[in-house]
Amino acid sequence: MRKLTSVVIGCGAIAREHLAAVQELNNVEVVAVCDLSAARAEATAERFRIGKWYTDYQIMLHDWRPDLVHITTSPSAHFSVAKACLTAGLNVLCEKPITVEYRDFLLLKQLASENRCMLMENQNLRYHSSIRHIQHLLSSGQLGELLEVQIYFALNVVGPASPYTDQNAPHFGLGLRGGIIGDFLPHIAYLAYVFTGPVIDLRTTWAKHTPNSPLPTDEFRALIRGQRTNAYAAFSGNSRLNGYWVRVCGTKMYAEANLLEPPRIAVRRFRPGEPAVMSLMEGISESGAILRGTVAAFFRKLGGTSSYDGLPQLIADTYRALEEKQEQPVPLQEIDETANLVDRFTNPELTL
Amino acid sequence: MRVLVTGAGGFLGRHVVARLLVRGHNVRAIVRPASPRPSWGPDVEVFYADFRAHDNLISVFDGIDAVIHMAAATSGNEDVQFTSTVVGTERLLEAMSRTAVKRLILVSSLVVYDWARARGTMAETTPLLLDPYDMGAYTIAKVWQERVASSMTGTHGWDLTIMRPGFIWGRNHAEIAGMGRRFGPVQLMFGPFTRLPLSHVVNCADAVVASMENPNSSGLTFNVVDADDIRVWRYVREYWHRSGRGGIPVPLPYVVGLGIAQFASFVSRILFGNKGKLPSLLAPRRFQQQFKPLRFSNDTLRAKLGWTPPLDFQACLARTYAPDPDVEYNAVKRT
Repeated sequence: MRKLTSVVIGCGAIAREHLAAVQELNNVEVVAVCDLSAARAEATAERFRIGKWYTDYQIMLHDWRPDLVHITTSPSAHFSVAKACLTAGLNVLCEKPITVEYRDFLLLKQLASENRCMLMENQNLRYHSSIRHIQHLLSSGQLGELLEVQIYFALNVVGPASPYTDQNAPHFGLGLRGGIIGDFLPHIAYLAYVFTGPVIDLRTTWAKHTPNSPLPTDEFRALIRGQRTNAYAAFSGNSRLNGYWVRVCGTKMYAEANLLEPPRIAVRRFRPGEPAVMSLMEGISESGAILRGTVAAFFRKLGGTSSYDGLPQLIADTYRALEEKQEQPVPLQEIDETANLVDRFTNPELTL
Repeated sequence: MRVLVTGAGGFLGRHVVARLLVRGHNVRAIVRPASPRPSWGPDVEVFYADFRAHDNLISVFDGIDAVIHMAAATSGNEDVQFTSTVVGTERLLEAMSRTAVKRLILVSSLVVYDWARARGTMAETTPLLLDPYDMGAYTIAKVWQERVASSMTGTHGWDLTIMRPGFIWGRNHAEIAGMGRRFGPVQLMFGPFTRLPLSHVVNCADAVVASMENPNSSGLTFNVVDADDIRVWRYVREYWHRSGRGGIPVPLPYVVGLGIAQFASFVSRILFGNKGKLPSLLAPRRFQQQFKPLRFSNDTLRAKLGWTPPLDFQACLARTYAPDPDVEYNAVKRT
């Protein structure tokens, strides 16, 4: 059986995550990589034992016709590279956000539809083991009816030596809508969307907590009213406790996970009985779950599992869809709706 | 000579600039835009640039006779260090290739050697790391920085000299990796009698400038160490005594530390295959890079350039721990 082939454009840190995930697949061969830096392209090819490397993606795409192109450049380059790939009839798996401007995404979407190409976005947190666990609790009825989702992403972007505030070489995120926070909004948007469904109403607020940083804003909050439930979403660039907490509240249980430390997940469920005794049992149960999750997370780190917990599964599902000629794992319409939500996060006049 | 110095605002860079001035050279120093100007006089021309972001570097080579390239990241994750050190070098040298400048001195590091394969005395003939990707970010970046410089030298016919210092130390930089690891008050010393490849910053700057001035150094590589007679135990003792920081010394034979690392690596391979990730103390190749008992030689520097370190260990100590913060810096001018 013929192996699927792929190429990678952009050889930074996230490209290594893609390549490590692809190497786990038996039916895929990465035939070439490309980066503007020859040294980075060559180093990546050497490290992952890939036969060819390029510094010009157009020459690479002239030499190869891969089944899938991984676009892992900085966001500002996504549109032009993806457009060239889709125009050539090539399937694309692109890092988030696919485009900086929503209108550019719509162009790519149209191009993908016209040329019958896949246009996938790396929405790896959908595949995160903790999110899948929570979705199972929800679908199996253990969580009860869904009442609310709380997403709180804390990353200290304003601290000393932060690459986000490096004034020697401005971070690419500063060119995004919402500045540095814009780099994280796609994750927040699609994760909220997974639970809320299409958005009916939205309120946002942005703030600058640290006055002497070059960032335009460093705090973001949103209230989202969706078709299925409501969500509170937040990004804090000032908290020194980094974490990506997701709490899903149902009528019978709430489940909470830190997505930076999988598979640590804590659940608190409704238990009938004497309140004081139930509270004690709940505490023991919760402590046990946290301890088990923490130990497992420690061993996962020793085992080389990165924080991109869901990426290998997303990539595996993407190639499976290609091989079996099925619809892409995350439907293009859902990617559109989350891109639209990001656009609305950053355009207050678009909120209802 | 008119010399372009990259990384001039760094620890070694400031000493190299001072040494160049003493030797009567004209200096154009490149420092990062957000960095304050070091305490140089008007005789140092300062050019503010970060190679990751600065697009037009050709003009910095105007009128330049030689380049001393020291700019490199010493902290940050692999991506940060690769971008700063390797991609930055690539951009600088691409600009240089469009000029008439031919003389390049690259300050690299002993980390580019394959310490696991090194035997006896580490010399310039010691095998280089061929597969650096399980090493630390700094090592990967320095290996590739040398590869880029060598490759472009081959393409453009430059006169390249590579300098590979050991542990560069001096005032406010006396704590070095070879001392071991500190856990609270406990100082773990792996191989207390292991010889340290020390290169005091004053001596190192002198060697860099001497190699630039000497045409015989073209095409050569030099390990830059003062001597190898100072051992871990003595260095730590001097550090504690002179810095006023004490601790509880816990010496551990090198073979015991390496044995623990090899056992941890074995268990990791059993449990996780090749994907396992261990801290540097438990990764055998990285452990060896920091603590392997070897001898270190500056014979090539002595033989080819007639260089000897201007300061002995006692003088280095005196300057490093002197109460007057300007003593070490001024020492560069006197040597």
